[in-house]
Formats: sequence, C-alpha cells, structure tokens
Amino acid sequence: MKKLPPLSYAILPAAVFGAILVTFAGAGAGDLNLQAKLIWGTNGGKPNDPSLKEVDPKTAEKLAGVFRWKSYYEVSRTNFTVAAATTKTVRMSPKCDVKVNNQGKSQLEVELYGKGKMVVRKRQQLALGELLVLAGDDKNDTAWFVIMNLNDR
Amino acid sequence: MIDQNTALKLQAYVDGELPSGDVRQAAELLEKDPEAKLLFEELKASKSLLAGNELELQVPESREFYWSKIAREIARQESRPARESAGVRAWWLRLVAPAGAVAVLALVVSIALKSTSLPVRSWVALSDEHEIDTPLEETSSITFRSEAAGMTVVWVNSQPN
Repeated sequence: MKKLPPLSYAILPAAVFGAILVTFAGAGAGDLNLQAKLIWGTNGGKPNDPSLKEVDPKTAEKLAGVFRWKSYYEVSRTNFTVAAATTKTVRMSPKCDVKVNNQGKSQLEVELYGKGKMVVRKRQQLALGELLVLAGDDKNDTAWFVIMNLNDR
Repeated sequence: MIDQNTALKLQAYVDGELPSGDVRQAAELLEKDPEAKLLFEELKASKSLLAGNELELQVPESREFYWSKIAREIARQESRPARESAGVRAWWLRLVAPAGAVAVLALVVSIALKSTSLPVRSWVALSDEHEIDTPLEETSSITFRSEAAGMTVVWVNSQPN
C-alpha cells in the first residue's frame, strides 16, 4: 500500500475542519433562513398573467386542505436571511412588503404592508416545517396568502 | 268596653259612610250605650275640629304646573327600573360585544376554511391579544393555530370601503 506524504496527515484534518467551519459560518448563530411566498387564491379559471405559476404540490396540498379556494397561484417567492436582532424588508409585489425582525430563539416579528400601510403585525416562534400564513380575502371571491417558513437549505 | 269593630262603625257613622242597613243599629246603640255615645261625640268633635282648622297650603305656582311636576316625578320613578335594566344590558353588551365580534370572525374564517383533510375542529382560534396587531381601523384579524397541520393562520378581515 502506497503511503501518503507526511504533510497530508496535517492537511486532511484541516480541510475537513475548514469545510465544517465554512458550512456553519454561512449562517451565523441565531440567523433565520426564511422563505416567503405570495400566493393568490381563486375559484375562477387560470389568470392570463404569465408571471403567475401554479404553486408547488406541497404548498397546494396544504392550502387546498385548509382553505376553500380551488386554485392557488404563486405571485412571488423569496429566500432571505435575517441576522439575529436585525430587521429585513422583503418586497413580495409592488403592493406588498414584508418586514421581518429576528428576535432570537426562532422568534420573529412579521409586519405585513399593503400599499405602504401596515396591515398586520404578528409575533411568532417558527419551527422547521411550520408555516405562518398571513391571509385575507380580496375582491371577486379571491384571496391572498403570504406564507413564511424556515428554509432548510 | 267598646270593641274595635263597633268603634270603626261609629267612625263611619260620623263620616256619613255607614251603609244604610247599619245606620239604624248605630242609632239604637247610641241611645242605649252611654260609652258608645261618648265615643261618638268625641269622634264628631274631632271631625269638626279638623275640618274647621285644616291649614290651606298656598302653592306658589299654577295648578297645572304643580300637578305636571308631580306627573313628571311619577313618570321618572316609573322609568327608573327600565333605565337600570338598560344599564345592566349595556354592561352586558360591553362584555359580550368583543366576544361576539370574535365569534363572527371565527364564523367567517370557518366558512373560508375547508373541513376536508384538515377538520376545522383541529383548529384553535387564538385571541386577538395573541401577539398580533392590526393597526388599521377598517381591518381586524383572527388567528388560528393547528398543531396537527403545523400551521398558524392570521386571517385579516378588511371592511369594504
């Protein structure tokens, strides 16, 4: 069996340690990796807007199991990170913004803005796999949904 | 000794209020019984004394105004229990109104929520104080939580403009 050069014994553990360090340093301690989706629910046919796409099957199943609307279309989707004790504002659409404050220990405060006015503020502890849904009905028997969850990337 | 019933009859006789059938008996009693006669005279004297010396109160206002004040006071006294019950009702309404509003919102959300794969029963409505604010006057919100679905729904109810 061919022996490794003596230097390899030092480099190999250092490389493994470095890889671990880089992996965890990407998300700082207490940072929240979040995903926010703006979804539009309707009982009518598919809208003409080509930017709208059908929601992913997992989300569709969750929404269809809970709400009465037949079809759900994704308006936008954003992945973002909120560092500990900081606030980040995310634009979901020209009329809809979400401001998220990371309060530590997976506790976040979400402010939803519609046309620049704060519509609702919610404080919530979010665990992996859980959804926070801010929703409301709209004209023509439609509804909007802002779904937030921890991103497990 | 004159009993109370006889004394009352004699008083009625003095006042002219004795039934005609008893007047004859009363007259016979007065002729026969000196004690009854004495009481009759005392009652008669008292009646004449009171009638002759009754003070006449002069009210410094017109008759209509005087009696209208009494009528108003009677009406006020009669309306007091009703007002008190209205007060109780108002207190009751103040207590129940917020709960009613939450119930109406819960009904709206129940209609919005389907009961297929996730029965509405598994959802728990949380009070509005549950870490939520809706600053706009025309909006209200209700929060539902389902542990089974791992989902918290904040339903924002906007009043139509």
